[in-house]
Amino acid sequence: MGTKIRKILIANRGEIAVRIIRACRDLGIDAVAVYSDCDKTAYHVRLADEAYHIGPSPSAESYLVHDKIIDAAKRSGADAIHPGYGFLAENAAFAQRCTDEGIMFIGPTPETITLLGDKLQARAAALEADLPVVPGETLDGDNLKATLVKADRIGFPVLIKAAAGGGGKGMRVVHKPEDFEEALERASSEATSAFGDGRVYIEKYLDRPRHIEIQILCDQHGNAIHLNERECSIQRRHQKVIEESPSPVMTPELRHTMGEAAISIAKKTGYVGAGTVEFMVAQDLSFYFLEVNTRLQVEHPVTEMVTGVDLVKEQIAVAQGEPLHYRQEDIKLDGHAIECRIYAEDPQQGFTPSTGTLKNYRIPAGPGVRVDSGVVIYNEIPIFYDPMIAKLVVWGSDRTEAINRTRRALQEYRVAGLKTTIGFHLAVLDNARFIAGDLSTSFLPDEFPDNNYSFLTDDIRRCAAIAAALDKFSHERKIALSSRSAGKIESSGWAAHHRRENLRWFGGSR
Amino acid sequence: MSRYLVKIDDNEYDIDLAYRADGYSVTVDGATVRVTSHRLGETRSVLLVEDRSFEVDVRSNGLADSRTVFMLGVEIPVEIEEYQLAQLRKTAGMKSGPSLKKKLTAPMPGLILEVKVAPGDKVSKGQPLIVIEAMKMENVIKAPADAVVKSVDVSKGASVEKGDQMLEFE
Repeated sequence: MGTKIRKILIANRGEIAVRIIRACRDLGIDAVAVYSDCDKTAYHVRLADEAYHIGPSPSAESYLVHDKIIDAAKRSGADAIHPGYGFLAENAAFAQRCTDEGIMFIGPTPETITLLGDKLQARAAALEADLPVVPGETLDGDNLKATLVKADRIGFPVLIKAAAGGGGKGMRVVHKPEDFEEALERASSEATSAFGDGRVYIEKYLDRPRHIEIQILCDQHGNAIHLNERECSIQRRHQKVIEESPSPVMTPELRHTMGEAAISIAKKTGYVGAGTVEFMVAQDLSFYFLEVNTRLQVEHPVTEMVTGVDLVKEQIAVAQGEPLHYRQEDIKLDGHAIECRIYAEDPQQGFTPSTGTLKNYRIPAGPGVRVDSGVVIYNEIPIFYDPMIAKLVVWGSDRTEAINRTRRALQEYRVAGLKTTIGFHLAVLDNARFIAGDLSTSFLPDEFPDNNYSFLTDDIRRCAAIAAALDKFSHERKIALSSRSAGKIESSGWAAHHRRENLRWFGGSR
Repeated sequence: MSRYLVKIDDNEYDIDLAYRADGYSVTVDGATVRVTSHRLGETRSVLLVEDRSFEVDVRSNGLADSRTVFMLGVEIPVEIEEYQLAQLRKTAGMKSGPSLKKKLTAPMPGLILEVKVAPGDKVSKGQPLIVIEAMKMENVIKAPADAVVKSVDVSKGASVEKGDQMLEFE
């Protein structure tokens, strides 16, 4: 305790690696990047002070290999490792390995990670700390029949979840008993490949709940505070896509009650560092404990925008053994912040990944706008990792200003070469229920049942049509001019070209 | 002068273009529209339509009859045809674009985790055929209709690009 960190290895990639490198720079700490084959020229590698190659592109052969990360840390002389989120962030064995090798792991202790990472143990801890939990059943290797009896006892719809899970992986909602078997098989197989642990459990699926989480911060001296809530109800495939703070439904009393509940489970489990206690909030505002994420969350910037606290700097301070820089009464809630996750995905096609090269990439700027990007222009988006390329985080003095600003910032984005979720976000921000703050985790399927996220007006379509026509027109003229200058006898080269095109077209479709 | 039929989503625009000394003369669905375009580079330009200004990035991806227009932060797919040709096609009762194929292609790039069918198998609509892992998510590709599998072109562990043929029906 009390050792000053001089060099941090960031065991991650993409925007979160960039985020942590920035915090290191702000603190005068050296930042070490690691990279796989396809990340040779990635943005995080360009920004870091040092970079170490850790193997082939699949994460199981690079970012997830303990030995390689530890080896890079030793070669670089890093005194601490920041795991970011995903990859090794909630891996107790890795945290233990760091400790054994004399390298600081920036996060909770291996014991806390083990306890809270196992959803079943976490549930037991929550009950002990007097937190309300959703009715559920463990499966303990039951056969299908016994499992179905349990599902029936809870009552359909039920949610199948991976015991070791997170991020929507290994999770399935089942509405009818006849769909149960396939869902169970898929969830278990997904859990095995994602976490190396195929155990699943089932829970009552609440109708149109909100997902609201509390950010906590705890030091090694027994101090624990909360930094308000984040509403993360806008989800697709159980993954958050838009988050905000404060929640439009929150009252100071409920915030206090939920904040106290979050602190109580943190204290019960000896929590150290930054963490998130997730709750489901029913339509009547009753809340149920979901899980504790023992890491920095993707959506942490919305909390930073409204509290002014730099969570990564605090994580580093706590790891160095410093007492918290803030008391509960120092935590303010100023204005409103919204985060839109920009994914390389095609929302119109059910959010299928869209890989390729970023042929243009220009990010928005101006008052209240923060963009945490993991990419720059001409970067290739590989198939091996999560397709999130950036987070747009916007602050406004109130929710209305934040929404208007987010819309403005989204329209300032210039991305070419890939499909992204930018248009999807614009469609959601124009939705009346979203504007009214009437949110739930089934918001997207309820409001956009056919995945039609087009926000285009006829006016804009007409202008796009003109742009396309002008492009074809000038292209044809170019062909005409070049064939003429090449001395072709043909009086109009482009006409001949298009005659050929048309013949091919007719021939092909018959 | 050129006349095009331009299609975006389900909206069609009849656009007539000609060069003029000071730019373009443009009519959309018979009405004259004032248009100015300033090139910024190979694909980008500043477009003024009746004084509304846009930065547009238009890409053809090597295809004559389609464009991708990036503007206002989003991507807009556009189909574009010679107007006369489009009329001929319509009279002949042909649909634009490729007809529905008996070939099942990968909807996304990824790794094949499981192939649940073999050539000759009778499958019914909604039956799981292939499981693809893309960006850590398992996606079950289901039969689009009742059919008989003619050939399977992928095997477990293979990686596919979007659009690669995975399976063919009879």
